[in-house]
Amino acid sequence: MAKIVGAFGVPHNPHFPTWSQEGHPLGAEIDRFYGAVAEQLRAVAPDVIVYFTSDHYNMFFESVPIFSIAVAPSASGPSDYPTIARRELPIASELARAVQRHAIAREFDLGMLQELEFDHTVVAPLHFLLPDREIPLVPVFISAFLRPIASASRCYALGHAIREAIEAADSSQRVAIIASGSFSVEIGGPRLAPDSHVGVPDPAWTERVVELLWAGDFEQLVSEATDEQLGEAGNAAAELLDWIAMLGMIDQAPPAFIETQPQFGHSFAAWPIDPLEDGAA
Amino acid sequence: MSVYAVNKLCRRVVHEPRLREALNGPRATAEAAIRAATPPLSEQEVQLVLDGEVGELGLMGCNYFLLHQLGRWEVLGMTLKLHGERVRAAQGRVG
Repeated sequence: MAKIVGAFGVPHNPHFPTWSQEGHPLGAEIDRFYGAVAEQLRAVAPDVIVYFTSDHYNMFFESVPIFSIAVAPSASGPSDYPTIARRELPIASELARAVQRHAIAREFDLGMLQELEFDHTVVAPLHFLLPDREIPLVPVFISAFLRPIASASRCYALGHAIREAIEAADSSQRVAIIASGSFSVEIGGPRLAPDSHVGVPDPAWTERVVELLWAGDFEQLVSEATDEQLGEAGNAAAELLDWIAMLGMIDQAPPAFIETQPQFGHSFAAWPIDPLEDGAA
Repeated sequence: MSVYAVNKLCRRVVHEPRLREALNGPRATAEAAIRAATPPLSEQEVQLVLDGEVGELGLMGCNYFLLHQLGRWEVLGMTLKLHGERVRAAQGRVG
């Protein structure tokens, strides 16, 4: 059976790769936070990464699945930010198909992407986390921008189902999980900051999410992450559902670290589960 | 009112360079591109999009995330700064 070796939560601000490269005042901090996650990711030496994210109206528009999984052999991106270096990323399509079969058997209607182009939510974090390595992904997409969306408990349960699928897989692969998203953020909407086109409408919610993550109390987080709360936290704040699905794949436990950028309403966190002694990936 | 038509047009701005080029052309070229959209925008929507009135469009129910793409891609005279200003102004008008 495949083994889950670690879980990692990151933001996907599309400007971060450019800021890192061009000496933005926050560039060093961004490099440090992503670098800390990258170090933990390297230490668990994954063969495959289950990647939870939410499409930003790039892949899905005329038809919007609540949950879907990519089974193509690979995909390129980003489709939406030419400022981020374009790359082709391999997909662990055989494992992805096994996950899909298992999830559907568990009554999750997980749609199938046979061809796709990644957006910045995948490519921007991997710019930092996997700058020079290609580890096959199992990309899982959770609809978070266009209501109605799945409940937090449904996403947590989806995580349980995907964990079952991974642990039932006829494979000895080491599987890491990455979730990509923010906790409180408004993009272009009426709750933007006075001098910006974005905002953090509910900084107290960001603090509460971080508090519950530090406590390792995933179930309490699920109960508090109501649709109303996610809506109050901003028009992109349901990206937390990606983290919640990831948390559904591991046992409740505090992370090794969390670093938060409150001005963006997001955090970087790592739950290393089975690091190798030499940390070699 | 066809919120979906406006949302779809804004989404196309991200993925269609030729549409961006048309929207940055003379007003008649931009208007023709908007009128060619399917599904069609209402007359009111055509004028509001041409004028970059994202605050009003937001109040009418259009998707703010998608509206902000006009400013991000700097079409129709929009910028992200203008986007913020117009959304805030519209919010101010309705209290």
